[in-house]
Amino acid sequence: MTTGHLAQGRRAQDPRAKSPRAPGRRAPEHGTEHVMTATSQRAGRRGTAPRPSLPPAERRRRLDLHRSLTTVVVVLIVAVQVYPLVWLFLTALRTPADFASGNLFALPGEITADNFVRALGTGNLGLNILNSFVVTMGANVLIVLLGTMAAYALTVLGFRLSGVVRAVFLLGIIVPVQIALVPLFIDYSYVGLLDTYASMIIPLAGFALPMSVYLFSSFYSYIPGELYEAAMLDGAGPYRIFTQITFPMSLNTIVTVVMVNAIFIWNDFIFANTFVLSDGLRTIPLGLQNYIGAMGNVDWTATFAAVCVTITPLLLVFLVLNKAMIQGLESGATKG
Amino acid sequence: MLTHRSRTSVLVFLLPPLVVYGVAVLLPIVQSLVLSLFSWDGITAMQFVGVENYARMLAGDAVFWRAFANTLGYLTICLVLQLGGALVVASLILALPTGRELAKTLFLLPAVISTVAIAFLFQHIYSFDPPGLLNQVLDLVGLGGLQTPWLSDVSTVLVAVSAPEGWRFTGLYMLIIYAALAAVPKELEEAARLDGASWWQLFRQIRFPYIQPVWITTVIMATTYALRGFDIPYLLTNGGPGQSSELLTTYMYKTAFTSTDFGYASTVSVFIVIECLVAVGLITVLLRRRDA
Repeated sequence: MTTGHLAQGRRAQDPRAKSPRAPGRRAPEHGTEHVMTATSQRAGRRGTAPRPSLPPAERRRRLDLHRSLTTVVVVLIVAVQVYPLVWLFLTALRTPADFASGNLFALPGEITADNFVRALGTGNLGLNILNSFVVTMGANVLIVLLGTMAAYALTVLGFRLSGVVRAVFLLGIIVPVQIALVPLFIDYSYVGLLDTYASMIIPLAGFALPMSVYLFSSFYSYIPGELYEAAMLDGAGPYRIFTQITFPMSLNTIVTVVMVNAIFIWNDFIFANTFVLSDGLRTIPLGLQNYIGAMGNVDWTATFAAVCVTITPLLLVFLVLNKAMIQGLESGATKG
Repeated sequence: MLTHRSRTSVLVFLLPPLVVYGVAVLLPIVQSLVLSLFSWDGITAMQFVGVENYARMLAGDAVFWRAFANTLGYLTICLVLQLGGALVVASLILALPTGRELAKTLFLLPAVISTVAIAFLFQHIYSFDPPGLLNQVLDLVGLGGLQTPWLSDVSTVLVAVSAPEGWRFTGLYMLIIYAALAAVPKELEEAARLDGASWWQLFRQIRFPYIQPVWITTVIMATTYALRGFDIPYLLTNGGPGQSSELLTTYMYKTAFTSTDFGYASTVSVFIVIECLVAVGLITVLLRRRDA
């Protein structure tokens, strides 16, 4: 899914978004009103008595207090938010006896990597990771390629019914994936696509495509027409312009699209759970669920370790790329 | 627009994306509409039943209505946690003197964890015997009397399956709202502060109106995502005990793939789509009107 994209996609749907300050469209009325009252009152005060305010030292002390209080509250909230994950990793390092003894808050009495050895030995986690990689890559290639192509046709080339086609894509943003499960299951079993990589890749790409189309469209609407005119004067046709100008210029948007989609595709459970039947094609969520089903009540600490193994690759990627990711999401939201 | 474009070039670029989108999204919608008028178990011949499935769903299926009510409860809990939480945390982080980036990154972490891992994690958080994290915390702060098997107690299970979904995406919405709040011009806030505006007045009259368009988008996102929520309730309780945590999505899934009643399952999935469309319509109308 493309949660992050919805915000960015609004740019394309919202006619007001032409102006870069669209989000504040209403605010200036409020704002100016306030600025005016503020200045007039200040002017009035200046003429009469000075404002009875706190001495600077006292004010600074209060501000400092306020700040440290905020910091304490944020640290507490973040701790509660992140603690379950820390606990997950801590438990994976405990010995089974330590875990069974009960106190879940104590630090592990003795750190062991045995759980990980058992998790990797019992499960098929390596194959699961490989499968997830294939599906994530395949779907992302389709999302980027088809997204840029559709956006190019809609925004750069343009045609008479482009508004209708755009609206049809728009619809896809709010359609829940559940609607496709039964029909695709039936269609796949007719054409023999059940239990293949494609059975996961097609719906994952299809449902992510609308957001991708909007993101690329809104970016393309900012590319100045002079650039294309110059290229046409040099004799470039629509295909060369796409491969040599439009597509290469989309790099930043491609990065955002891929990063956000990768998270959701890597973690996809519902399509994989519905369309994959054999062990060999299980992606990480399925492999993990299988492992939990088999070992979850037998070898607890190893199951915690297995969970850690499956979430670590994406966590690492996220921690390394978080600046770019956060920026992508934020810029989408503010332009929304 | 390119003047040199030809009809062929438009088709070359437009057809491949339309085919994939059509096969994966549009065709299934049409197929679901058709299937919802049939009775079919996937093996014997399809039987046309007209609107009988709809009549059964709306008039004669107590489980459906139970699931619908649960879905609304699930939606409410998700919205409170995700949007309320996001707004509060975004405001707090914005007021931090340092470490904002770190706080944002840490807060976003749960969003990259798979639902299977989250379901496993929360199974152990809610566990009663041996006492899981939550029951141990209650014991620790002297509320041991509140300990309960959260997932098998019919009065707590809906909240228990909704909370992980809320927890998971609060960071994402926080990030979006944070970015919007950070874009509020400092001069406006400064002027209001000099005016003696309280923190609440500042928020209510300057910040919130300014982020209103982003807020509407965020509400739509959170609502449509909560309405299609499936993984965590399915994995944690599979709708149980009884129907006390059954959502429309889990009900539809079980109807389709456990009872193989493809026709009726399609009827329920058509309802889920309509529900999403109605929700988006309502949000747009209600929030925009207040806006005007």
